[in-house]
Amino acid sequence: MDKMSSVNEVINTAEKEVKNIVDFKMVTFSLAGKDYSVDIMKVKEISNANKFTFVPNSLPFVKGVYNLRGDIISIIDLRIMFNLPATEVADKSLENLIILRLDDYQLGVLVDSIDKVVGINSASIQPPHPIFGDINIKFIQGVVEHDERLYVILDVEKIFGQDEEFEMIPPPQENVPAFGTKSPFGRTAPTAGESGNLDYSFIIENLKTFKKFTVSDINREWFDRRFAEWTKLKGNKTEELQLKSESDAELFLSGFFSLATGRFWDDTMLTSFEKILPDFGKNTVSVWNPGCGNGYEPYSAAAVLFKKYTGASIKIWASDNDLLSISNAPNLVFKRESVPEILVKYTTESTTGLQFNQILKDVILFEYHDAMHPNPFMEVDIIIARDLLSFLNANDQARLVKEFEDKLRPGGLLIIGNNERIDSGRFKYIGNQYITGYIHE
Amino acid sequence: MRVEYINPFVEAAFNVLKEVLTSEVKRGELYLKSSTQPVMGVAALVGLAGNVEGRVLFDMSMDTALAIASDMNGEKLEKMDDLAKATITELANMITAQAVTKLHELGFTFDLTPPAIFTGENMEVTDSEVEALIVPMELSYGKVEINVAVRERV
Repeated sequence: MDKMSSVNEVINTAEKEVKNIVDFKMVTFSLAGKDYSVDIMKVKEISNANKFTFVPNSLPFVKGVYNLRGDIISIIDLRIMFNLPATEVADKSLENLIILRLDDYQLGVLVDSIDKVVGINSASIQPPHPIFGDINIKFIQGVVEHDERLYVILDVEKIFGQDEEFEMIPPPQENVPAFGTKSPFGRTAPTAGESGNLDYSFIIENLKTFKKFTVSDINREWFDRRFAEWTKLKGNKTEELQLKSESDAELFLSGFFSLATGRFWDDTMLTSFEKILPDFGKNTVSVWNPGCGNGYEPYSAAAVLFKKYTGASIKIWASDNDLLSISNAPNLVFKRESVPEILVKYTTESTTGLQFNQILKDVILFEYHDAMHPNPFMEVDIIIARDLLSFLNANDQARLVKEFEDKLRPGGLLIIGNNERIDSGRFKYIGNQYITGYIHE
Repeated sequence: MRVEYINPFVEAAFNVLKEVLTSEVKRGELYLKSSTQPVMGVAALVGLAGNVEGRVLFDMSMDTALAIASDMNGEKLEKMDDLAKATITELANMITAQAVTKLHELGFTFDLTPPAIFTGENMEVTDSEVEALIVPMELSYGKVEINVAVRERV
């Protein structure tokens, strides 16, 4: 018995010793009453200052610039940057400033109060938990407990890193995304002259009224091409060019829709899709398919996923906000001729006609759901959203692209319409003429 | 909301209302709503658990609630007393139970919580993260909105 306890004691002391080795020091400070810290190696010095020189037209969290013994550094207010309540400081009192030394430049950040330097063992740092609400998880290096206080260690390289600088956190007041909201009237039309310009904007307006189609950078390439074509077709007279009814608008949009919209994907589509599917190297694959319509799209995709990821557990959330289309999707009935070869083995004869069997049905969850409402699920591997963005207004387009960025796992695949493009640093194009795909980086 | 859940709720609401009331019953257009919604004055709430999580809310104005309660009891009720409240609660229970029975036949298992009733003015209901399916039912006494917010347990 005694021996046992003494062995335990030895183990305990050994453990304690490992925990007591200090190999990571951090400067702790508070923001809105909570404790945060940064790696001391990133901190150049700590200082008190006020009266920063205001820089016009800068982002809201940039307080200005400050002269630090001859070096001009910019001052960032972390509270504004993270949408935390900033305490108002009396006019002349000094604010707490941490001067950070990053790769090749220095930066000052304003915080509520600076606490002390804490030494810990790096093994005791725990990975961030997704529940942390206030600050985006991407910016958190980890959490650590010390002296009964929990410190959130911020990853300053990620926050202020050069290439992604500020782009990931839209300033709170400014709701203007990087694309999509430009007024269509502000742009110069491809056809020269006043009337051409007017027709261009008229058509954009008409498409919005009749078909809720929003011309933006997502589909501008297609629209410009189609507009030129349309002008050629209709002659240059304004009254001929304009879209007077819904059917005119439909005609104008006729070439827009992706291949195999509203029917099963044909063999070229299926192979192209298979070709761009990444290897995830795990045995679960989750797919989000907003705007799935009648369900042809998720069924087609499911068959390819079965083939590509043999043995993996596959889950597809397919949704649409059109009640009529989506209601028919779970029990879709079709003719034998319309089914591509790859799907045939998943079909079964029912009293109403040919249907998919339970194996395929169990993989897809059809929901009556609006993608603009909260999407309550975790990260997915693949998002298929063909011809969905173009039919949202500019603000919603930007919001949904952001949602795609958040919901798609790094390395995941995003599929959008054949005539749609996303211009974002975080998506790398890998499509071809049959399918427009992007890899999330 | 999962497509399979929609019809049972719509049918149950229609059938039960038709059965217990002398009024005409007409179904309105279904739609989805997220964000905060105002509640008309009387709200009966039944919670759901099991394969899913969520709740069903029956929302109507005070006058409509009184008229429905009067009709179901076969006597004129003047104010929202215990009897009127119990009647509306029972109506909510009947509709939800019938929907859940239908869903059970389709292979989805749900449990119900006992209904609760809320009355008051200027009330709002907020579901963060779950969008609600609104099933409007037009009666000659006014409108009853059945607000179904359920989601799959992930």
